[in-house]
Amino acid sequence: MRKLFFYVPLALFLLLTVFLLSGLFSDPRERESASLNKALPEFALADLMQPQQIWTPEQLHGETFLLNVWGTWCPTCNAELGYLTELRKQGVKIVGLYYELPRDPTFDAPFSLKALQQDVAQKLQQNGDPYQFNILDLERRLSLDLGVSGAPETFLIDSNGIVRAHHIGDINPQIWRAKLAPLYQQWSQP
Amino acid sequence: MKYLIATVLLLLSGALHAQELLQFDNDSQRDLYRSLTAELRCPQCQNQNIADSNAIVAVDMRQKTYELVRQGQERQQVLDYMINRYGDFVHYQPPLNRYTLWLWLAPVLMLTLLLGTAIYRRSRQPQHNADTKSELNTELDQLIKRYRSKKP
Amino acid sequence: MIVEAGQLALTFAFALSLLLAIIPLYGSFVANQRMLLLAKPLALGQFLFCLLAMLALIYAFRTNDFTVVNVAQNSSSTLPWYYQITASFGSHEGSMLLWVLMLAGWTALVAQFSKALPLLLLGRILGIMGVICVGFIAFSLFMSNPFERSLPFFPVEGRDLNPLLQDFGMILHPPTLYMGYVGFAVAFAFAIAALMGGRFDSVWARWVRPWALAAWLFLTLGIMLGSWWAYNELGWGGWWFWDPVENASFMPWLAGTALIHSLAVTEKRGTFKSWTVLLALAAFALSLVGAFLVRSGVLVSVHSFATDPGRGMYLLVFLLLVVGGSLLLYGMRMNSVRSQARYQLFSREMMLWGNNIFLLTACLIVFLGTLFPLFHKELGLGSISIGEPFFNQMFYYLTIPFALMLGLGPWVRWKQQQFTPLVKPLGLVLVAALILALGVLASMQSVQANLALLGMLLGAWVGVSALAEVMLRMRQFGSVTQGLTKLNASHYGMTLAHIGFAVLVIGVAMTKTYTEERDVRMQEGDTATLAGYQFTLVDVYELDGPNYGGQAAELDVRKDGRYVTHLHAEKRFYRIQRTIMTEAAVHARLSRDLYVSLGEELPGNAWALRIQVKPFVRWIWLGGLLMSLGALLALADKRYRRKTPPATKQEVANA
Repeated sequence: MRKLFFYVPLALFLLLTVFLLSGLFSDPRERESASLNKALPEFALADLMQPQQIWTPEQLHGETFLLNVWGTWCPTCNAELGYLTELRKQGVKIVGLYYELPRDPTFDAPFSLKALQQDVAQKLQQNGDPYQFNILDLERRLSLDLGVSGAPETFLIDSNGIVRAHHIGDINPQIWRAKLAPLYQQWSQP
Repeated sequence: MKYLIATVLLLLSGALHAQELLQFDNDSQRDLYRSLTAELRCPQCQNQNIADSNAIVAVDMRQKTYELVRQGQERQQVLDYMINRYGDFVHYQPPLNRYTLWLWLAPVLMLTLLLGTAIYRRSRQPQHNADTKSELNTELDQLIKRYRSKKP
Repeated sequence: MIVEAGQLALTFAFALSLLLAIIPLYGSFVANQRMLLLAKPLALGQFLFCLLAMLALIYAFRTNDFTVVNVAQNSSSTLPWYYQITASFGSHEGSMLLWVLMLAGWTALVAQFSKALPLLLLGRILGIMGVICVGFIAFSLFMSNPFERSLPFFPVEGRDLNPLLQDFGMILHPPTLYMGYVGFAVAFAFAIAALMGGRFDSVWARWVRPWALAAWLFLTLGIMLGSWWAYNELGWGGWWFWDPVENASFMPWLAGTALIHSLAVTEKRGTFKSWTVLLALAAFALSLVGAFLVRSGVLVSVHSFATDPGRGMYLLVFLLLVVGGSLLLYGMRMNSVRSQARYQLFSREMMLWGNNIFLLTACLIVFLGTLFPLFHKELGLGSISIGEPFFNQMFYYLTIPFALMLGLGPWVRWKQQQFTPLVKPLGLVLVAALILALGVLASMQSVQANLALLGMLLGAWVGVSALAEVMLRMRQFGSVTQGLTKLNASHYGMTLAHIGFAVLVIGVAMTKTYTEERDVRMQEGDTATLAGYQFTLVDVYELDGPNYGGQAAELDVRKDGRYVTHLHAEKRFYRIQRTIMTEAAVHARLSRDLYVSLGEELPGNAWALRIQVKPFVRWIWLGGLLMSLGALLALADKRYRRKTPPATKQEVANA
């Protein structure tokens, strides 16, 4: 008994290395989302291109879709536009949530919807347009309610308006196939 | 003349006190805001609280915290608001559950266990022993002899 | 050419470390004196080649050789020369080479200054150091080569050093910290050599003690410098963030502190042997775990290096071999060792046990706080964060009994102490501490703040008690002047380090309680008042530095209308890395710091400024400095520098 006592440090250390080993193979920044399986938060936000159109969660019910948080200022977002457009062609419904940057009074011109629309139209023409429409989240209120930490991020919303997946980072063919496609299949079935 | 008046006015306004960036109703609100922004974690950054980070999401969370505090919400209400949206990850104090309980329990256990061992071991010391000091001395003498003899 | 020479030097160092790891250890088992004698020249040669490699790397940085990937990514031709030198250890690769150099340096020091050690033991110690060197030099050479070239395509200009690292603190912080980390390798090697030979006694403890003290001295200084750097450079006025990287240095420090106390018992009383050996293993093991945490990317931290799973894997395997192997040896060998000493419940032995128990508990808290989020997530329970609120809470409750005991400890004799003789002096100490604490607090605005009151009380208790104890001991020798010379240096060292701890506790408690902070909007000419100081923004103008631009703010500070000082705060924009850095203006006094950082420009020609008045914040680093000085003083003790084993039993027993 007394002899075994001196092996306790070794045992504890070996246990630690098991965790460290498994930690090596997982991404420390990957984490589950708090928005999962919750209904879309309440909002009433204008369409980016047709500001007179106001979107509310109820209007988005009825069909499973991807809500893609993006901005033209974000290089990764621009890079994934191409693949998202391909997905649109395959029949995936994608709605854009435009994540506008806060403005620095020193360096930036005041916000102009017109300039933003032009910028967006140009980017979408260049890289492909995956979106049915874009919701403008000028003050990032909806983004905060959804637990968005930056762009790009993508939510899978089912036909009842419930969040079923939350992906942080860009969508590429691997991630789509491995992570999002199965969920999309599962939740688009009636 | 106009210029002079403008200058005087400017000087007068300059003598005024600088405004706080964020206005609070009272000191306890300010303290609450400060402590909340210090213990909420920026979800995008490496490892920073929202007070120290300038990431967009941190700026937004600070703003929201400020609004909620100004509305008179309690500390726990603000924390719940953020945890609802960003998960437990966002608070630097982990939630108490049967797993995280060990965070507090393990140190307490170790402390009592080691203290217990120390007292137990002392109580099991050989009772009728020769004077330890002289015993130590003889041990040392032997050792010194041994080391001397092995010197190259 | 020079770069290739550096690469070659590192390769030679690797070859020598291989020989060092094999020959003397083998020689120790076959009792071959010639093999054992080879250890010293091998250790010195290894150090020489590591030094040449480091110099070659510094040369590459100074000559802006952007064909070297490391230089291109971490330096630029506009970088000031002193930062070009420190940039050589600013990256993962460079810092690894510095780590290797330090390790080889300690090995050479052991080889040079251990004339009193028996050849067999010295050979084993150097051999084990060699094994560790092999692991790290191979890592540097094969997994993170600092000399890698990117020929034939290379940039004309480098990407510059991370602006955070362009600070005076960064010149000193990494070398001292690494000296501390790898310094514990010496105590580790001593412990393994002792496990091999199966001999642990007072003489062994006396040999280890100066090495453990030296490593602890550097680690203390390194941590303190890191904290000071963060305070100055990060621009928020914080001095400790409980970030995994900081915790990675704090854990070996706690274990090392326990070790130097436990070694005292093993040296003077020949007991606590298995415990001391375990601590010697643990201090270095925690250094290695820390290196793994910082360099593998398993944890998210503010200042971890760019990571790579291959490197993480290598370090983990190395960790498993070195630490796992040593703990296995510990389990196999230690059960035969028994301590015979006798001591009463109220004795210095038990006091030091208590010290060790609290330090180890603190170490466990830091360990759990750092790694529990990883455990939690790997067990599929989701992501959690552990930070300041948790650590503050735990350390608050741990410091109270620890400090109370620390004030009592030095008064208690070995083996047995009666209560009654201590009642009078400790009663006086208590009264003095109370008066001192309340006196200082009365001079502040409010006395009701309980953290400050508690911190002052504990600090004063520890400090006054340490001072009183040393004074009383001097009196026992007759006059003070007589006593001054009679007491040995390590006793003064202990007293100084304990006072350092007291100063640190007071600094932490007072800063936490009385810091005042305001974020204000100021135009030129505006005045903000905080804690009785009037800060007037005099001027804001454009900056033009060698590798940065930005703005600078000039402020005048007055108190009750009287001029106090002029402050100069900068907000720099580093052009190459495109990052914004805050250079805070700090006016430091023992009783308080004035701390101003310049924020963003606001509409209407105004600026956001963060103004802080931080009472007693200097005391935090002053405490760390006093602790280091204490260790230095203890190192100066005559008995560690005897060339030959002590002569008489009297001398040994009384030392």
